Parts: sequence; C-alpha cells; structure tokens
Amino acid sequence: MADVTDRALGGEEAADLSRRRFLRGAGGVAAGGMIAPSLLAASGSANAAPAIAAHPAGPETLDGDVEIELLINGTKRKVVVEPRTTLLDALRMRIDPALTGTKSVCERGNCGACTVLVDGEPRYACLQLACDLRGRAITTIEGLGTPAQLSVLQQEFVAYDGSMCGFCTPGFVVAITACLQKDPAASEATIRTACAGNLCRCGTQPQIFEAALAAGRRLAEGK
Amino acid sequence: MSLEANVREDAPKKRKIKTTKVVNGVDTEVEVEIDDVAAIAWPERSKLRVLNQDIPRVDGPDKVTGVARYTHDVRLPGMVYARLLVSPLPRAKVVNLDVEAAKKVKGVVHVLVVKGTETGFLGDPVAAVSAESMDAAEDGLRALAAKFEPLPWAADHDSAMKEGAPLVAKSGNVSKAATDGDEAKARAALAAGAFRVKATYRLPVQHHACLETHGVVVDFRGGDEATVYCSTQAAHGFAGDAAEELGLPANAVTGIVEHMGGGFGSKFGLDKQGQVACQIAKELKRPVHLMLDRRAEFLMAGNRSGGIQTIEASCDADGKMTGFVVDAFKHGGLQAGSLAGMPYCYRPESHYRAVRSVRMHLDASRAMRAPGSPQASFGMEGIVDELAYAAGIDLVRFRKQNLPADAAWQHQLDRVAQEIGWADHPHKSKPGEASGQECIGIGFGVSAWGGGGSDDCEVEVRIDRDGSITAACGVQDLGTGTRTYMAAITAEEFGLAVRDVTAKLGSSRLGMGVGSGGSVTTASLAPAVKDAASKARVAFAAHLGQVLRLPAEGFRFEPEGVLHTGAKTPTVMTWKKACGTLPAEGLRAQGKWIESLAARGVNCTQAARVAVDPGTGRVRVLHMVCVQAVGLPLNRLALKSQIQGGMIQALGYALSEERVIDPLLGIQLNPSFEEYKMPHALEIPRMTTIIDDLDTRQGVIGVGEPPVIPGAGAIANAIYNACGARVRDLPITPDKVLAALGKVV
Repeated sequence: MADVTDRALGGEEAADLSRRRFLRGAGGVAAGGMIAPSLLAASGSANAAPAIAAHPAGPETLDGDVEIELLINGTKRKVVVEPRTTLLDALRMRIDPALTGTKSVCERGNCGACTVLVDGEPRYACLQLACDLRGRAITTIEGLGTPAQLSVLQQEFVAYDGSMCGFCTPGFVVAITACLQKDPAASEATIRTACAGNLCRCGTQPQIFEAALAAGRRLAEGK
Repeated sequence: MSLEANVREDAPKKRKIKTTKVVNGVDTEVEVEIDDVAAIAWPERSKLRVLNQDIPRVDGPDKVTGVARYTHDVRLPGMVYARLLVSPLPRAKVVNLDVEAAKKVKGVVHVLVVKGTETGFLGDPVAAVSAESMDAAEDGLRALAAKFEPLPWAADHDSAMKEGAPLVAKSGNVSKAATDGDEAKARAALAAGAFRVKATYRLPVQHHACLETHGVVVDFRGGDEATVYCSTQAAHGFAGDAAEELGLPANAVTGIVEHMGGGFGSKFGLDKQGQVACQIAKELKRPVHLMLDRRAEFLMAGNRSGGIQTIEASCDADGKMTGFVVDAFKHGGLQAGSLAGMPYCYRPESHYRAVRSVRMHLDASRAMRAPGSPQASFGMEGIVDELAYAAGIDLVRFRKQNLPADAAWQHQLDRVAQEIGWADHPHKSKPGEASGQECIGIGFGVSAWGGGGSDDCEVEVRIDRDGSITAACGVQDLGTGTRTYMAAITAEEFGLAVRDVTAKLGSSRLGMGVGSGGSVTTASLAPAVKDAASKARVAFAAHLGQVLRLPAEGFRFEPEGVLHTGAKTPTVMTWKKACGTLPAEGLRAQGKWIESLAARGVNCTQAARVAVDPGTGRVRVLHMVCVQAVGLPLNRLALKSQIQGGMIQALGYALSEERVIDPLLGIQLNPSFEEYKMPHALEIPRMTTIIDDLDTRQGVIGVGEPPVIPGAGAIANAIYNACGARVRDLPITPDKVLAALGKVV
C-alpha cells in the first residue's frame, strides 16, 4: 500500500516524505523520528547523558540510557532503557529481577510468544517500545496467576494439557485471557481467531481450544 | 501371569537385593530380603490406579504461569549477552571483519572471530560479539562491517550434480548408491505386472523450528567449577564437552536443563554456539548467554533432509503388489541426509532401491522426529495410492492386502476408516471430479517405529522422614511428560497421589539419563523408575517390619494409608506417620532398566479428510484420525497431546513448510516465521486420537516419532481423492494443486 501512495506522490523523494509523514501520523515518541541515533550513541561518539527532554516545539526527545517508570502487573517498576528498547527486552533483560515468563521467539511479531496485555488489549511485546508505554497498564503472564493460585484459564490449561514444551504457553494464555475477558462465552471460532497469531510447534492447539472453552464456561457461570 | 500365580501359591520364596542406605551421610549398599516374585512387572491394566489414566502434567502450573525456567531465561550476576554473526552466503571469503571497531562499541566487552578466512555453508558461524546488553551485542555485530566475497557454491540439486560443480566433500558431491534388493527380479516383476505406475516424488527441507532457539548459558567465573545451562535433548550429553572447552576437569562442570523449548531431534550436544560461549566465558571469566537469533536458528540449527524419489511399482490383477523399484536422492546439505528403507511398511513380492546423497553448501541435516520416515512414507503412500487407483481397488482393501496379514495396521485401518467415514464416502477407488466449490476427499497412511529402551538410566527413589518422596534421574523433559510419569509410577507403587511425589530431573549431577532421541526415553526410563520405586517399597516394608515387629511381607501401601495384613486386624497408619519412623537420612533405593518392563516396535495408522477448492487450489484439512499403538499407556493425556502434536507437524509438512533457497543468490528466502509457514490455530482440523488398546503388551514404549510419519501422505492422497489433483511435491500449495488440475501451467 505504501508503494502505491509513494508512486502516486511521484518519485523517491515523495516516497520518503510520505513515509515520514506516515510515521509521524502513527504518532508517539517512537515513530516520531525522535529515536536517538543509538548506533552513534553506542559507538561512543555521542556520550549522551541520560536525558528526557520535552522538545519545546514538538514531541519529547529521548537519548541514550533513560530511566522510565512502567506499571507492570499493578506495580510501578523503574527501568533503565534505551529509546529503542522493546517492552520485551525491558521485561526480560532490563528489569531486575527479570520477568522471563514473556518469551522471546521471533522478535518481529510473527509468533505471539511475547503477548502481553496493554490496558487490557493483547499486544506483542517485541513490537512495543518500552518508553512508549509509560503510564499504560502492562499485564504479563506473571500477573495472571501463580502456580499456587492459577487463574481459571490456567487451571483448564493444566487440566486439558494445553502445554507440552511450554515455550509458547504464556503467549497463548495471555491472548486467550484477553479474549475471555471480553466474552467468556466466546465460541471456538472466536477463541481460534484470538490465538491465530500465536505459534506452537509441539502442536498443543487442540488442547488449548478445549481448555479455553472449558474456562469460558466456568467464567460465564461465575465459577 | 500364571507363572507369578504359581510362585505365590506357597509361602513366598525370599531373595536378597541390594539397595542403598545413607549411613552417617554416606551412601552405603545394604542387602535386604524380598519376596521372590519372578520379576518386577507392571500391574494388570485393570488394577492401575494412577497410570493408564489422564494425568495432568506436574509441571503444568509452572508452564502456564511463566515460572518454568528455560535456558533463554537464565539470568546471572555479571552475565554478558553474546550474538553470532553467520555466513550470509553458502561459500565465501571473509574480506572484512573490523574487530577493533566492534570492540569500541559502547557496551561491547568481547569479540571472538570464529572463522575469519573462509566459510563453508550458508549459516556458518563467523564471529561472536558479547556485550552488557543484547542490543549492544547486535550493535557490535553491525560494527564488524563484515564483507564477504562469494566463492563458487552448490546450493541446489542440479548445480551440485553438474560436472565440475564446486566440491562440497572431497569424495564428490554425489555419494555411491546404497542399494538393497534384487534389481533384476524387481524389474521383471514390474514388466509382468497387470498394473504398473511410475512417478517422481519430491520432499522439501523442513525445519525443526523449535520455539526456543538453540543455545547455552555458561556460568563460569574463573573458578574451579562451571555450570552450563543448555537447551538440549540430552542433559548428560554436553557437560563433558563444555569442560574440555573451558579447560576444566569433566567432573567440574554441571549440565542443567530444567525445561527446554522444543528440540524434535535437533538439540544434542554442546554444538558450535555452545563451544563459542565456553571460549568467551573462559576468556572473560564471566557468565555468557548465547542463544541463536531466529535467523541463525533457521540457517545453522539443522533441518529434516529433503530429496527426490523416482518410484515404479506394479501389482497383479487382484491388487497384490509384485514389483517395486525406487531410485532416490537425499538432500542433507553438508550431511548425507536420511531416508527410511523403502518400500517402508508395504510388502511387494520383490523390491530394489538405490539411494544416493547429494551434498550442498547448506546446513547439515539433523535427526528430526522419525528421521527419514516421513520422507519414505510420502513416496510410498503416494505410489500405493496410485497403484490402487490404477487397479480400481478400494484404497483400504488395497493397503490391507499389501501389509503383513498379522500386523496391527489391519485392524487400525478398519478403525480409522470407520472414524473418518469411509463407508459412506463416494470415492473409494476413483477420485472425485474437480468441480463445484469444494471437493471432499479421504486419504490414508501407515507408519512404524522401533523405539525400545536401553540400560541408560539410573533412578533414585528417596523417602524422607517428613513424608516427602522423590524420584530422581538426570534425564530431561522435552515436554513429553517425563516428570509426570516419573512421579506417577512412584505414586502408583506407594498408593499415593501424583502430587505427593516430587520428580527431579534435568541435571548431570543426578543419575545417568538417556538422551531423548528416537522415542527411547520412556522405554528406558520408566522401567528404571519402576525398579527403584519397587525396591524402595520393599526396603520401606522391611524397615517398618523391624520397627513395628511385624512380618515385612504383610505391608501394603494403599491410598488409605500403610496397611498390614498379617495381624488379625489390618493395621493402618498414615503415610506420613510411617515415614516418621525413618531415620533422619531417610531411605533410598536405586533402579536400573528392566527389559521386560519395556516393549519395542509400534504401529500407527492415520486418515485425513480434506476439502479442496478446485477454483483456487486451496486445501483445508477438515479431520485427521490416528490410531496409535503405545504398549502400556502410562499417561493417556500426555500421549494424546504428543500424538496430536505429531499430526500437526505433519500437517505443516504436507501443506506449507519448506526451506526456500535461491541457489543463484545463495540465500534462504524464508529464514523467519513470517515466511516459513507453520500451521496456526485457524488451520487445525478436528482431531481424533485413539490409543490402540488392542496392543495389550505390558511394556512401555515411547511414541514421539510414529505419529509424525504418515500424515503428509494421507493428506496428499486425500487431495487426489477429492478432485484428482495428484501433487507429488511437498508442500502442497494452491499453485501446485491448480497445476495438477491442469488449470495453470
């Protein structure tokens, strides 16, 4: 689609303009062209002091290592990130102790293993910039239950054997949690669609559908 | 059974066995006297209380909450993250590698040149950069500004076969044919056959596509010891190699694999990335985290070999297969590749096969779930189908008369036919017409796998004074449910619930554990667990006998508690109370493999029902059925999961999975999950999984391999059955269906 627009605008220059305009339109600090030149910073030529500065005439500029606050599973967590740091990397590698339940598999939005909830909506953590999520409510798999206190869906995952190697499991649990929160009576077709963006190599999907339907029934009945 | 009954008729004979008891903190071997029942055996199926049921996996709660820790998740103080640069071309000269520039990148702490001169395959590791963060390590890789000058390569069948092709192996790119059978006899049978077919089948290279990429975390800080975490199928298989790389004695390195995110045959040993991580750790004296990124995983972490099979087969007028000749090539990259013996499960009167390997400058194939068998099955089920249609015989009947008369496939075929709705299906010996919106077809396939166990597991069952009971072995759980059946077997022995038993595994510090490849884990491990549990039970009874001054043989461990039947009224005490009589060091018993508790050889039969849109060539698999022999089922729930998982992997192999190489550019076009297409939730068909309870053997068998084998053939056959599109080239994408229907060229 971008290509069509580019061509309609005529020539490479226009294409570049349109992309930039698109990115700006997509909004936010991340896409606003204000991402720090991280390679430059990393190569030592720009020893940028950690800074969060509100740009007088526009969006805020972030550069180098910056400390931000994220609301994760109901708790405010301080974390030092770079502007380019994804939520996935922030959770797994920058928060101490690390939240490693969210899995890193493809790092490009293909597999769903890093699915988290942002303000209740399922999102791939590998496609979110951590600094974009200040002030948003982030729920990871660790926020949905513990082995001693499983959520209804997690209980049914165990009962129906919705995990084998288990590496994709957190992503499926989070994606289907979001689906059942919207509609506990979700049909199998709805549940399948809700987790169509999640890959499983062991082939646990049939058991996952069963678990999700069973959990939905319990949630709908308020049990 | 009758033998056991005879032995038990008189007062039980006694025999002495050795068990281990901790005396003053030291493992000491002691002899205890036990009833001499002929041998330890699994209880009759009707008497099993825990086993042969649906047992939720014991590590399920950890997996569904993200608590389960994988190698990827290991975080250690002072740990550096390392990333690998791999060769972007099949063969190249490394003309630039700016190590100094990489070292100057902020956060980078180490640069290792793995191969700085010439690379030998697409994905060959070239350099590793370690840094304080993963991002910085990747900055470092970019700063290397690596440049490669192409050298001549062979990256597809035709260019590797050409005269004067760049050599992959010194002995040449094409191996000498490995042959089997009597060619003259087979060809004579072909010539005399009433019906005869000839066709060429093509197999793509499939990826294991483990969600957790290959890799290690090496915890070495310059001391006398190291711990290496590895995503592997053999917890005991890499610590020794890591020790060598680290320059430590073999017994100073512990290998750990608590959980692992999929292996499917590709994860054995330390591997190249493991060696590299050890070298870095040795130099830095800091823990090193080196997991492959997804692209490197596709390029260098193994695959299922592809190939080409040209097959001729004949049958007589009654449909009895007479002659079979196959001329096959295997595509295993740097390796030979694999192909199970053809005619695989079928038994034509005479056969001949010639199999050659064609080597290329591409990643070496590795074992992948039933190595060589899905490949053999696809060609075989295809040609059997083609012959059945040529002879105009019902597809099920044709298969049955060409499979051994006493094999389980006979009743399994009847069962899958019933489940898939064969009796009411209109196209039993002639395909449907390619018309309308949707053509429905059915296809079949069979498979076999040896499996079996070996004496490679040492299990300890330990009972402690507080009532805790543990079964431990340094084996690994790939997600097949190993922990769960270790606990369940022990629970069964003591009248306990599965949750009462702790299963410990995944450490080279624990007893020897078998590597998990070829469906051998369960058949090797379960008997050893049973042996250890049984010995612990006998030793516990002997102990209780001494303490309570009652005959040891009267004790029974039941759900209601520990009973004694020798006294006039049965004495009952709780498990906890009984354990409370143990000394502080508790009680331990060691178990080894007992051959009679394991079985070997399983059969599987599958059917698929598909819908083909003859206008678009799109295929939807509607229903897959599997009847799988499993010997004595330990955990029916985990078995069902594993069988269905195999079928789903076969579904991907059938319809979408393929490594695509551009042989001229020398690149893989799909080294990501964006372009390498695996089945997802919307494509999962209805699945019927039946454990073949007519297999009444009282021995356990693993079933990792057999369910992955026949699915692709069954689906391909169902597509032809639906609309007459015979696609002999996996994966069966819509363009190939349309081409087979003559709708596109």
